[in-house]
Amino acid sequence: MTYVLNRLLSVILTLFLITLVTFAVTNILPGDVAMMIMGTQSNPEALAGLRESLGLNDPLLVQYGHWVGGMISGDWGNSLIFKKPIFELLAQKAAASAIIVAMSMIIALALAVPLGVWAAVHRDKWQDTVSSTSALMGVSLPDFFWGILMILVFARWLGWFPSSGFVDPAENFLGTLRHAFLPSLALGLGLMAHLTRMTRSTMTGILNQEFIRVARAKGLAERTVIWRYALANAIGPVITIAGLQIGYLFGSIIVMESLFGYTGMGWLTYQALLNRDLPLIQSTVFVIAAVVMLTNLAVDLLYVVIDPRIRLG
Amino acid sequence: MKRFKTTKGMIGIILLLLIALVAIVGPMVIPPDAATAMDMRARRAPPSLTHIFGTDQLGRDLMYRVILGTRTSLEIAVSAVVMSIVLGLPLGLISGYFGGFVDNVLMRLVDTLLAFPALLLALTISAVLGPNIQNTIIAIGVAFTPYLARIIRGEALRVAQMPYVEAARSAGTTDLMIMWRHVLPNILPAVIVQGTISLAFAILAEAGLSFLGLGTQPPAASWGLMIQASRDQLDIAPWTALVPGLAVALTVLGLNMFGDVLRDILDPRSK
Repeated sequence: MTYVLNRLLSVILTLFLITLVTFAVTNILPGDVAMMIMGTQSNPEALAGLRESLGLNDPLLVQYGHWVGGMISGDWGNSLIFKKPIFELLAQKAAASAIIVAMSMIIALALAVPLGVWAAVHRDKWQDTVSSTSALMGVSLPDFFWGILMILVFARWLGWFPSSGFVDPAENFLGTLRHAFLPSLALGLGLMAHLTRMTRSTMTGILNQEFIRVARAKGLAERTVIWRYALANAIGPVITIAGLQIGYLFGSIIVMESLFGYTGMGWLTYQALLNRDLPLIQSTVFVIAAVVMLTNLAVDLLYVVIDPRIRLG
Repeated sequence: MKRFKTTKGMIGIILLLLIALVAIVGPMVIPPDAATAMDMRARRAPPSLTHIFGTDQLGRDLMYRVILGTRTSLEIAVSAVVMSIVLGLPLGLISGYFGGFVDNVLMRLVDTLLAFPALLLALTISAVLGPNIQNTIIAIGVAFTPYLARIIRGEALRVAQMPYVEAARSAGTTDLMIMWRHVLPNILPAVIVQGTISLAFAILAEAGLSFLGLGTQPPAASWGLMIQASRDQLDIAPWTALVPGLAVALTVLGLNMFGDVLRDILDPRSK
């Protein structure tokens, strides 16, 4: 109970710190929000009035208070480019990104775990080289380059998947998945490398342990030993690493969603950054950091559930 | 040095030497306006004897542009990583050496920064400051700092508990002196390894930022910008994407291979 309480307090503190960092970063050079709304040609008096009404003349601390207070009370302000409440925009786009993040994680794990196990079982043989080389290739290409290759091969040449756009899952769920597939595959390939290495090294360690020898000596099939005994013990660390990659993924969806014109959170963030829509930048940056932090927490807790040896202390 | 003689180490070193050569010597030997000269009759020309890597949508020679891009990329990546080390080293060193309250406060801040995906942080800083080469360096440098600080802190923590540090302390050596003479030299290998690996990420980050229009700005030559420009002509001129893409891939591959081998040599615990 104390553990849960402590964790909860620490989450609240971190959320608070995240708002501070977000606010600090977006206010290093306060671009004139009023001028962004009205354009550079607008008359000075109207600009001054708007600045006053937006609270831009207040000290930074007061502005910060307004921003955080607004977020707590549910008023996240309006986006300058979309002319819509930010909260509404975020709620619309979140689901689209959740699909991509989940899908790329599944693709990455589905590729990395067998590849890593295969490499560990055939350590220092050609299979190991193939596995580690493909992992190295995966990290060495920028993920947007993977994206471009996907567009070229699967959309332009083969025509199997659409090269851009987004379909509302409520209307056509299969269509959504079709649109999400290529960006997810590109992300998954970039993500895979790290997970393959992790699977390989954890599996290698476990395959050297006594209980594996015992299992083999008992006459269990090698398949059972590897998948049921060894992998069951290796999967914990692999999932932890996968969870920690969420942060990397949320950075990459900005590139990938923009490349594929897939209108999720990443795309929204990019539009905000490109147009210097300060209120929208603040909110998207905050939400992404908060989601990353909460996912890491969830992974920590999940790890306890998967591996009963870990005691809460 | 014997362990560099693995295939991986050799490939890594050869790639890096080649790339460094291109970045340093390339811009000196190519004709001054070769990378900007537009040959309107040879727009999107496929690779041939006159244009070995083909030309882009403005008829500019891709080989020359890739060479100039090498310098841009390396300049930005190296400066950004140096900056993140300069910022991260004192942070991590102080945190790991003193421990306790200082460590708690500093690492809480670092952990908060780690919740922001590096690319998001870099993009945001670049967008707010206004994208250009100098701000791209700042953006990537700041975004990478928490990672460096975390690793340096861990190393400093380990070294600070060594008997020789305790001995120095009991001999009355000041903290500053101990950090400078005993801790710093012993964490340097880890910093070098991490720096090399960070370089690979910095190259990718610069390409990503430029690709999104929030990094290097045209008309400067940058790999990310070249890939960006190739998007609309993928069907008719795929080489405009493949040439700069391959340049990024080879550089990052070289750095990763070199970094892996370097880690095995300098940081035996990681084996």
